[in-house]
Amino acid sequence: MNLFSYLTDPANWQGPDGIWELLLQHLGYTVASVGIAAAIAIPLGIFIGHTGRGSFLLIGLSNAARAIPTLGLLVLVVLLLGTGTGPIIGVLAILALPPILTATAAGVRGADHEAVHAARALGMAPGQIVAKVEWPLALPLVISGLRSATLQVVATATVAAYSSGEGLGRLLITGNATRNYSEMFAGAFMVAVLAVVLDILLGGLGWLASRHASPGRRARPIGRMISEPTGTPLNLVG
Amino acid sequence: MNLDWAWIERNLPMIGSLLLEHVILAVLPVLIAFVVSLPLGFLVSKTKRVANVILAFLGVIYSIPSLALFVMMPLVLGTKILDPVNIVVALAIYSTALLVRSVVDGLRSVSPSVRQSASAVGYGWSRRLFRIELPLAMPVIFAGLRVVTVSNIALVSVAVLVGSGALGKLFDLGFASYFYTPIIIALILMLGLSLIFDALILAIQRGTLPWLRKRPA
Amino acid sequence: MKVKQSLISVGLGIAGLLLAACGGSSNPLGEATSPQASASGSGSATAQSAPIVVGSADFTESKILAEIYSQALKAKGIESSTKLGIGSREIYIKALQDGSITAVPEYTGNLLLNFDANATATTAEEVEKSLPPVLPQGLKVLKSSPAVDQDVYVVTKDFSTQNGITSLEDLKKIASTSTLGGPPELEKRAYGPPGLEKIYGAKFKAFRPYAKYPPKISDLDSNKIQVATFFTTDAVLSEKGYVQLQDPQSMILPQNVIPLVRSDVADNATAVAALDAVQSALTTDDLMQLDKRVDSEHQDPAQVAGEWLKSKGLA
Repeated sequence: MNLFSYLTDPANWQGPDGIWELLLQHLGYTVASVGIAAAIAIPLGIFIGHTGRGSFLLIGLSNAARAIPTLGLLVLVVLLLGTGTGPIIGVLAILALPPILTATAAGVRGADHEAVHAARALGMAPGQIVAKVEWPLALPLVISGLRSATLQVVATATVAAYSSGEGLGRLLITGNATRNYSEMFAGAFMVAVLAVVLDILLGGLGWLASRHASPGRRARPIGRMISEPTGTPLNLVG
Repeated sequence: MNLDWAWIERNLPMIGSLLLEHVILAVLPVLIAFVVSLPLGFLVSKTKRVANVILAFLGVIYSIPSLALFVMMPLVLGTKILDPVNIVVALAIYSTALLVRSVVDGLRSVSPSVRQSASAVGYGWSRRLFRIELPLAMPVIFAGLRVVTVSNIALVSVAVLVGSGALGKLFDLGFASYFYTPIIIALILMLGLSLIFDALILAIQRGTLPWLRKRPA
Repeated sequence: MKVKQSLISVGLGIAGLLLAACGGSSNPLGEATSPQASASGSGSATAQSAPIVVGSADFTESKILAEIYSQALKAKGIESSTKLGIGSREIYIKALQDGSITAVPEYTGNLLLNFDANATATTAEEVEKSLPPVLPQGLKVLKSSPAVDQDVYVVTKDFSTQNGITSLEDLKKIASTSTLGGPPELEKRAYGPPGLEKIYGAKFKAFRPYAKYPPKISDLDSNKIQVATFFTTDAVLSEKGYVQLQDPQSMILPQNVIPLVRSDVADNATAVAALDAVQSALTTDDLMQLDKRVDSEHQDPAQVAGEWLKSKGLA
């Protein structure tokens, strides 16, 4: 049986349950929740990174977030609050917070100390130091945090279809129920493509940012602040 | 939200067997990944250009949501969708993707002067690798092991969407009839497993790398 | 450069996937059940002594009925086991035909429509009479029960009063701007959207599949969907006061509980007697009570089945 038969049938792309519509829903969830999470996590991360206060929270937060079974959370939320878009985006945003927060804090904290000292010596006010020195140097890490968060959300939004029926995950679930592997594959394929495309896009963005943050001088993460062992926080997806 | 203790008591055998299944599905991939990523990571750390392509490939794999991987496994393996092998292989691939990175970073973190001293004293490359470089890389690798194990424990439950999922089945059961007890139990058990295994790996690390004990955590 | 390397690796990955796709022949969703079928898996075992494997669909009532059948058989000395939650009809019929299960609780009306979409029977007796000729080779039905569980289309009370919807006939007024919610397999069924369109002239804007009740109930209550299907024995209907839509043209046929079995089970006189006794004793009210005990009180289907059988003196 043809694996791509579901994907290549144009009828499956149209209409309110078509692949296209589901893709847009999925993308919508992703953008909304990462946006909300960033709006909270970036300022908070800058504060923690700049002042050094509350950093102990971050390690625990990352580790704890990793252990949350996202399906359980989604199921609970739908049972308690119904299938509205709001609760789902809320859960997705909460899951997107830790990667952005830790990356921002680490980026700001790890901004080249010489540059920061030089700025202080020049008499720059703290606000200016953050805006003109720490932020541009931290940007590559912030973007990598956004990247982690985005992948986490794309993955969790796939699972969210189980409890709310929207997004590309629906193809997986319906395909499974009707024993239509081609439909399941269509869902898996589209989700994978979406994830990889977003990952490459954000990766490219991060690369641009690190080039911009003057060559040779990039924020390096201080080992303790990011729990992942590598320089680029790897995406942990659900 | 009260727990239905009677239900828990009636269903202890089922909960127990799901728990066991969950541990196997989560931990087996980590063991496989550990064995695979050591040589793979070593090879990757020695090359430059090829290393970067391989790492990028692994990065791409890692960015694919686990559920999508679970669904695509039957294609690659020729198994049926219900086969637990799909879960184990998919998670092993996932875990390898991250662990190879850990191994590479760990090996690369060994300072060149240490390597040179070892060679100077007369260590061949393999003795140097096993006696000096790997042990020094271990903290980073252990950190990777902890990350991978904890996230696997959570990821296994996602497989319930394709008919598997071990403790995840309790989410399914609870969701079908507004029944909170199995959901809460599953959450508690999974979080408990994460804590236990994280601590276990940490203990193994402290046990096998005694020279690190003096350093602050 | 990271992006270039990522693109190369993606290219490799896609190439690999296409190769796998060309090579892959078997359907990963192919087998309805696991390969470890019962001893009578090949279907050619001797009639009298072969254990009877009773399968069930994914919903509570089917599971309870399967347990009742299986335990009733055991009480008469016939070895039996169950395979619960196989999937929808399309899937477990295949399991029945390949021998991985040898009996399954069914419903007369939908079973008839499954094999003869153009059936003209409308009463319970007519439906039951029309079944044997249309069943595939090797499958038989036993005695039907007075117990009934119908598929039913519902709307919320508010929606009903606001739009004057009390019957399937009224649906055509609002269908083009409304969404229908039901189990995934409903979409193609004769009493699903195709039937609504053909018989009642109602073509819905969209169909949303729901594998579980809570999201369907939540969406119906919040007007994300306007019409939903349930079963007449579901407790939620009275709990929520949903309006059950009339079906004047009998698009949904009478659904009496009936065992669908392989021929060798039908030839086993003891088995038939045991199941007939169950069928006579079963009432619609029983179904509702049993469903409630499992769905609302979270009892185990096997447990409540056993208790029902005992209460009827059948075990």
